[in-house]
Amino acid sequence: SPPGKPKLTGCRSPEKETFTCWWEPGPDGGLPTSYSLYYRKDNSDTVYECPDYHTAGKNSCFFNKYETSIWVNYNITVMATNALGSSVSDPVDVDVVYIVQPHTPENVTAVVYTDDDDDPFLLARWEPPRKVDTHSGWITLVYELRVKLEKGDTWEEHFAGQQKQFNIFSPRSGEVYMVQVRCKPDHGFWSEWSPISYVKVPDYI
Amino acid sequence: VGLNDLLDRASQLSDKLHSLSTSLTHDLDTHFPPMGKILMPRPSMCHTAPLQTPNDKDQALKVPESELLSLVRALLVSWNDPLLLLSSEAPTLSYPYNGYIYSKTRELQENSHNLSAGLDRLVHKIGTSSKSLSPLPFRGGDLGSDRNSRLINFYFLLSCFRRDSHKIDSFLKLLRCRAVKQRPEMC
Ligand code: NA
Ligand code: NA
Ligand code: NA
Repeated sequence: SPPGKPKLTGCRSPEKETFTCWWEPGPDGGLPTSYSLYYRKDNSDTVYECPDYHTAGKNSCFFNKYETSIWVNYNITVMATNALGSSVSDPVDVDVVYIVQPHTPENVTAVVYTDDDDDPFLLARWEPPRKVDTHSGWITLVYELRVKLEKGDTWEEHFAGQQKQFNIFSPRSGEVYMVQVRCKPDHGFWSEWSPISYVKVPDYI
Repeated sequence: VGLNDLLDRASQLSDKLHSLSTSLTHDLDTHFPPMGKILMPRPSMCHTAPLQTPNDKDQALKVPESELLSLVRALLVSWNDPLLLLSSEAPTLSYPYNGYIYSKTRELQENSHNLSAGLDRLVHKIGTSSKSLSPLPFRGGDLGSDRNSRLINFYFLLSCFRRDSHKIDSFLKLLRCRAVKQRPEMC
């Protein structure tokens, strides 16, 4: 039989300059099936095919910065085709400004600072995701940090605003802490949490 | 007040303006008639669509400061009349929580008014662009007569404003970072 209807599962832009859309195949009717993504921009009647099926992996289409406009709706469909026929997904309308979700912050480190007089504290630092241009103001990122004792059960969350570092005072002597950071653009979605960074507090009591 | 502070204040207001319009759009989404989205006019029918604006970063970074500011101003002023219409029509919509919708549209209007005043002061500091841009006229004097088309037109106007307020916010934040080259915590 002809292939079942594929489903566009979503589109995301990590930096407001490029974007990727993903789809799920429908039933393939037991035959080799190929997929094509088509799009039409709201300010034009021309229908284009996906410019790059490879960069973002299986069942995806990547739009590089020359193929990405913002404040313009993309009307997107995916067509599945096998030897017996084809079927088209429901269309999805996308404006890139409403699908911004950055990658995780990078180089997250946490170290223990000790002064002679005071108790030690943890200093966590991180960098914005590499591809996001916060420098020109094209995106403004805010950060959130979470901390947990390695043998504890609950994460403690801290909002860091636009800062790229955060102090955690009075860590427990001799314990290991886990630290993660995520970021959110001024208008868009939170990133995933960064990989866990571990920090060991020396025995100080 | 210095240029940096004015731009800071202006971008806080534009950020608020866009966040408000986004949250209002989501509020309406929850009870919107299913056919509404299909019947809604295309974004290219927004009254500000003829105003040429950059549509990616590279283009936006090439626009001189005074021209970006003039663009922001033309966009915002183009929304004076339609924002007034939104807040005057909100109480009469056949829609649950329309009192709540009304207070949010009033908030949009107030924020937009405050931002306009801030832009006037910015024009004094940055100067006017040689390319003078006029605000776009708004010809839709009312929302229509039957309850569904009134709701659809309300939603359509709001979604146009949502996009324009995002443009306004993006351009002001570019200006903010251009004004201060040395502010690593911001830009
Ligand atoms: Na692909
Ligand atoms: Na582009
Ligand atoms: Na947005």
